[in-house]
Amino acid sequence: MPRLIRLAGATAQWAEDGFTHVADEEAIPEGDVILSLARFQAEGEILLSNSRRVGVRIESDQEVEALAYDLPRLAVVALAFPKYRDGRAYTSARLLRERLGFTGEVRAVGDVLQEQAGFMVRCGFDAFEPNDGATPEAWTKAAHRFRHVYQRAADDRLVAFEERGV
Amino acid sequence: MKVLTANRLIDGDVVFWKAGRWVEGFGEAELFDEAHEADAEAAVAKGKTQATTVIDAYLIDVAQVEGGLAPVSYRERIRALGPTNEPTHGKQAVGGEVIEALRHAHGAARSTGRVDLIRRK
Amino acid sequence: MYQYDVIDREFLTDRSNEFRHQVARRLAGELTEDQFKPLRLMNGLYLQLHAYMLRVAIPYGSLNARQARRLAWIARTYDKGYGHMTTRQNIQFNWVKLKDTPDILDALAEVDLHAIQTSGNCIRNVTADPYAGATAEEIDDPRVWSEVLRQWSTLHPEFSFLPRKFKIAITGALSDRAAVKVHDIGLILRHGREGQIGFEVIVGGGQGRTPYVGPTIKPFLPAERLLSYVEAVLRVYNRHGRRDNIYKARIKILVAALGAEEFGRQVDEEWGKISAERADLPAAELARVRAAFAQTKFETLPARSESFEAARALSPALQRFARNNVKPHKQSGYAIVEVSLKAIGQTPGDATADQLEVAADLAERYSLDDLRVTHAQNLVLPHVRLDDLPVVHAMLEKHGLATANIDLASDIIACPGLDYCALANARAIPIAQDIARKFADPDRAEKIGELKIKISGCINACGHHHVAHIGILGVDKKGEEFYQLSLGGSGAEDASIGKILGPGLSADKVAPAIESLVEAYLAIRTGEERFLDTYRRVGLEPFKEAVYAQAD
Repeated sequence: MPRLIRLAGATAQWAEDGFTHVADEEAIPEGDVILSLARFQAEGEILLSNSRRVGVRIESDQEVEALAYDLPRLAVVALAFPKYRDGRAYTSARLLRERLGFTGEVRAVGDVLQEQAGFMVRCGFDAFEPNDGATPEAWTKAAHRFRHVYQRAADDRLVAFEERGV
Repeated sequence: MKVLTANRLIDGDVVFWKAGRWVEGFGEAELFDEAHEADAEAAVAKGKTQATTVIDAYLIDVAQVEGGLAPVSYRERIRALGPTNEPTHGKQAVGGEVIEALRHAHGAARSTGRVDLIRRK
Repeated sequence: MYQYDVIDREFLTDRSNEFRHQVARRLAGELTEDQFKPLRLMNGLYLQLHAYMLRVAIPYGSLNARQARRLAWIARTYDKGYGHMTTRQNIQFNWVKLKDTPDILDALAEVDLHAIQTSGNCIRNVTADPYAGATAEEIDDPRVWSEVLRQWSTLHPEFSFLPRKFKIAITGALSDRAAVKVHDIGLILRHGREGQIGFEVIVGGGQGRTPYVGPTIKPFLPAERLLSYVEAVLRVYNRHGRRDNIYKARIKILVAALGAEEFGRQVDEEWGKISAERADLPAAELARVRAAFAQTKFETLPARSESFEAARALSPALQRFARNNVKPHKQSGYAIVEVSLKAIGQTPGDATADQLEVAADLAERYSLDDLRVTHAQNLVLPHVRLDDLPVVHAMLEKHGLATANIDLASDIIACPGLDYCALANARAIPIAQDIARKFADPDRAEKIGELKIKISGCINACGHHHVAHIGILGVDKKGEEFYQLSLGGSGAEDASIGKILGPGLSADKVAPAIESLVEAYLAIRTGEERFLDTYRRVGLEPFKEAVYAQAD
């Protein structure tokens, strides 16, 4: 199992992962859980009402808008990268942050590599389950490799034209 | 007959397998005939483990042509020679019998032999 | 021209350092080839047949002399003394070593050049009219918008892992020299009803396996809304473009599947949700970019140059050059000069290091330090005084760069083909050389007139064969190279996709077949009709007969 890395300000750190990823065919264990969208839609109400934290895993071909009304009650949205080349989760993350106003944890799961760290952080991910063995140090470094950025995204970095002060 | 080839990681150069090491000239390559297919497969397996030396080791078919041996496919002949539009670039620059045989190879199994690889006047 | 500032330069330094780190990890075995490949591709580094190939970005095909000299130096130091101009206005080096690439990227960065996003499933180098800022027919300077898009798309966090590559082209003129209708997004600058500037937006054109002339999904987009609208297009594509089949992953397939109207509706719906304030470029930044391109210091000159007129009266070669390679300029007393990289028998689009240096010298001395690369694989000196044409022509002639064949039969577009490319099925360069030799007689070539012959060594169509007046596609037929001809394509403002003429031909039959096509055309053309016009009037049949009747 990949260990969880979480952003604290500009720095990535190892984090205790209180959540259990629950597959659709598994029984729901005690404690905080991350479920598929289908399972959440079927059983989410009950789980949320028995005072535990709930997260939902969104596959890359699912639309985060499906969660729009439930987001205030969710602790985590886990966005899946079936392959690192599948870039749909970047859009999902930006929409969660910029359009749907989600303030909980946006977690990258699946084929998650340190090479993607910069893109992910800019799109609003703040937790990562890297599957390339990346350490928080490597993750922090990769996320801050570029001193400048050229376009607005979900983060609050100054864009080149703002830095230029025009 | 088969020859094992790859591109070298550090510079991309075309290389050929010869008894446990990689050489640059097609003429030096080790030949695996049908009686030694297992040896060929063993060489492929060995080549695939050398990920910091070569990329994508694979076997190619070669055939007897006038003046020597040549890969059957156009693509592999060009890899063994260099670009045909620049006759002094790549492996063909050294010249010699092996290169001449490759340049004028025809009649191989998959080619109709109507067109030489090098048609330049 | 746009000048990089400290931000742009630090960005390139960071990029170069990142790649140096990645190469070191690959050589040390910390990254597998599968992991490394997409990283090197994002830096334009391919493994081809004989070596690595590095594709260097030339944003909107625009170089200054210092940059051109650095490219020449790289060709000499790290390659075999030449570079290849591509149909996307970039330059490729064919003999690069992996271990040298970090140093090459550093050397490029020193002159504000890079290889960012010249490959990979991301937004590629933006291309534009090579006559930008020089042609009189221009509504607005496409370089301004190309630079805006270059910056916006550079390491875009949301759009760097698209279903497939994404190519944008812009023209500010009605004559389309950027093939905008066969791009993922084609932008044509237009005037609105009240004289304001905007874009006609074409989405879903393309070549490759499934060629399309792109439909217009927005007849008029106010120019200042460009970035938010492009963001909406890319977001719809990123979410809904196919990822299950590499051959159906380009945006053209999505647009064709949904229909242009429905695709446009989805884009508009998404666009409506994007905050203009956050997504569009602030007016002040746009003004800053615009000012960088407005600084061209033209002299006030008479429209007619007596010295040029006198020189060309004495020199048939200069006269011919003026007829074919010299184009009208917006500024009185200036001309646009096309520099052909299609000397008869040479590799189309290749320039030696010496030739790049000559072009750099000429650009510096005679063209306001401005040099362009065209999608037809030639160079352009965009701002030459008419008075200087004789000396420029003489210099070009001395270095084998004065071939007066722009848009004529020997001005052939050819991809590297099987001589270099790992994807190719057949060679393209020797076919181009054979055909060019058939049309070496310049009088005859001029008599034939505009004839765009384009050759691709595989269905990916880097040689633009679908949009050629005569297109040639190399295929592998049982281990032998065969070539399929198509007629009637155009990549210009009258864009169309060519139709296949008939069965494929072996390599030695291609040039004679082209000869037959041209003879047939000359026999049936009326007046000043171009080959393309004749084809459009009479269709395939007479041409089919000319090629295949004889071949039997």
